[in-house]
Amino acid sequence: MRIAIVGPVLCSLLFSFVSIPLPARAESLMDWGKHIAEAGNGDPGNTACMECHRLKGGGMPSIGSPRIAGQTRQYIAREIREVQKGKRYGPVMAGVVENLSEHDIDAVALYYSRARTPKARETEPPSSARVALGKKIAHRGIWKKNIPACVQCHGVNGSGVPPLFPYIAGQNRTYLMRQLIAYAFLERKDDPQGLMRGIARRLSAGERKAVAEYFSSLNPPQANGR
Amino acid sequence: MRQKNEAARRIFRILLLLAAFGPAFITARAMAAESNVLFSPPPEESIPQGGFGDLIRHGEKIFTRTAKYAGRYTGNRLSCESCHLDRGRKAYSAPLWGAYVLYPRYRKKNHKVNSLAERIQGCFRFSMNGSATPVDGRTIKSLIAYSFWMSRGAPVGVNLKGSRMVSLPKPEKAPDPLRGKKVYVARCALCHGLGGQGRVSRGEIAFPPVWGPGSYNKGAGFYKVAKLAGFIKMNMPLSKGTTLPDQMAWDVAAYIDSQPRPDKPAPK
Repeated sequence: MRIAIVGPVLCSLLFSFVSIPLPARAESLMDWGKHIAEAGNGDPGNTACMECHRLKGGGMPSIGSPRIAGQTRQYIAREIREVQKGKRYGPVMAGVVENLSEHDIDAVALYYSRARTPKARETEPPSSARVALGKKIAHRGIWKKNIPACVQCHGVNGSGVPPLFPYIAGQNRTYLMRQLIAYAFLERKDDPQGLMRGIARRLSAGERKAVAEYFSSLNPPQANGR
Repeated sequence: MRQKNEAARRIFRILLLLAAFGPAFITARAMAAESNVLFSPPPEESIPQGGFGDLIRHGEKIFTRTAKYAGRYTGNRLSCESCHLDRGRKAYSAPLWGAYVLYPRYRKKNHKVNSLAERIQGCFRFSMNGSATPVDGRTIKSLIAYSFWMSRGAPVGVNLKGSRMVSLPKPEKAPDPLRGKKVYVARCALCHGLGGQGRVSRGEIAFPPVWGPGSYNKGAGFYKVAKLAGFIKMNMPLSKGTTLPDQMAWDVAAYIDSQPRPDKPAPK
């Protein structure tokens, strides 16, 4: 009985301390993030993110621009910085994010980490044979080639391991394929310790296609961004 | 002068012979002690239908999701696969095909000949920081069926290549936790966390905790620096096994084992 009363009182006390300064700042950061997503940060050459990633972060399978809704804030911010540094291969992104300040990056990463949207339609239906092969690689790996199961680092069914391992379930196929190829042929160099470069290189072209198709056939984790 | 030439030529010829056949001699000698080919366990698809197959498949489920399927006996959320990689199939991470043909065997740890069931009990008590599963219970029966199936075709009485863990040669410098900490921060923390706490995906362990309350206790094999160093050398970072220099593997193992973890349980 006593606990029942004391508990809520304690909680509200705690929260009143923690939450007073936060909302104001978080909201303005969110607003600025949304503004960048919608219209860019105002600098010349800065295109709105939504041109390719959509306002809600669903991406565009037809051009292989990735779904980013609900990726973690840390991950989105990191990837933008890696593009700026030139370590992450992104011929289109490079020009767009060039003028983003640290504050801009923080804001837009926060905005998209909280965005929620259903999976965008793929341009073609998946091939069941490739999905089956991809599923096997995703869940068992190919240890003969020192390739661990994808889900070992990308989380249960590819739903991500916060903060830095992105979800890949429900990501579009073209994007996943391009990343695997960029890793395999060493254009993309922002992966910690070259882990993805090694794995992507050891996958055959057909296997890369199969895992990309498998993960793109899944539903993205709606509640991601924990 | 000519004699000298003759001698040089003779030495050259001997060297050539050695170069050609030396490796063959060496391999032949090594073969006696250790088989040189890696054993390939049977593919998953070959698990039979019916009751026996069900037992094997249940064993595999326990193996990969131990807390879910044998939670009564576990004291942490590690799975068997946390240490025995690739569902117990990967060489140099104490694969089940190696273990099955190695038991029963004498172990200094408890000074007696152990059955595989008793060995598995040890895993639950120490690495899983839990309690001994009954030898005749479903958990052990399933795990043994899974190991038995996986070892089909593996020769008995031979020290199979990769069938256990690797013992690294003694390091040049004594293993040093302080040096190890630097390695850990640079190479391990991404997955296992700066505080050794591991990481979770959708409520399941994605990267196992390597110290702290959720990790193996002080009775586990990995609490021995040498054993942990051998595992790290061959398997870590995942997909990049054998890339860490030996000394780094020793140092980082010393660091991990210098961190707090549950005590060794009192003898039964």
